[in-house]
Amino acid sequence: MTPITCDQAVQQFFAYLDRALAGETLENLEAHLEACLSCCDRLAFSRRLDDFIKSRLPDRPVPPSLEARVRLALGRPETGA
Amino acid sequence: MRESEADGGMVTAPLDPETRARFEALALPHLPDVYRLAVRLKGRAQDAEDLVQETYVKALRAFPSLRQPDRVRPWLFQILSRLVLDQQRAEPREVATGDLEELDRFSLYDLIWDEDPLPYSDNLHGDFLAQFTDEEVRAALTALPETYRVPLVLVYVEELSYKELAEILGCPLGTVMSRLHRGRKILERELWECAKRRGLVRSWNR
Repeated sequence: MTPITCDQAVQQFFAYLDRALAGETLENLEAHLEACLSCCDRLAFSRRLDDFIKSRLPDRPVPPSLEARVRLALGRPETGA
Repeated sequence: MRESEADGGMVTAPLDPETRARFEALALPHLPDVYRLAVRLKGRAQDAEDLVQETYVKALRAFPSLRQPDRVRPWLFQILSRLVLDQQRAEPREVATGDLEELDRFSLYDLIWDEDPLPYSDNLHGDFLAQFTDEEVRAALTALPETYRVPLVLVYVEELSYKELAEILGCPLGTVMSRLHRGRKILERELWECAKRRGLVRSWNR
């Protein structure tokens, strides 16, 4: 295991939240987080911000006419609908 | 022959009916998910519907070369994502990323801490975020260039792995990682700018 600095830890937070870290990189970060309260707070904020954005992404119900529109377009793909 | 036998009389499909029927059986069940992704990337319903239609038309043309029919869902996402990225290339926007090293180090967490806009709060960072309206958050997301918005939305909505993202975007893993990092940093900066415009924080020092 190699000790990492706070700067190095912060640069890996998003990959950590996206579950994209593995092996020694993950172990090094987790070891740092166990020892560094400040980085834990920063990570918690990054996670909270992610959840905050996710919960506010635009969403709309599927228009009932969409499937018919797409089927029609598929019937004549050279011209579109 | 009844008109309904050929989709209202349209009989100009270049593929044989069997292939088209197979495509529709495999691809159309994913229509709600494809539309959902389109809405999250485009915002406006009309734009999302156009994008979905374009995605399916393009997918039908490419269908004969699809090697793994069980992977039709990520394949549709890939086609849709690339259409969005191509649209950006066709109409490039001013990418206000500024100095990238400075952007990489931007920290909304630190700014909130330093500025302390809510001195009586015992949940400073959470209360700060709670001040933004849904519209303001969506505007910040829309301000993200597609290069950053597409991977971020795919991670948020579909929880795709970086490897899957690299395949969809056609770029190396390191690029996926830096786009997801910078995309989030631009969002943080947009929220901070929005807070300054609204007078939620003092604006003379940053």
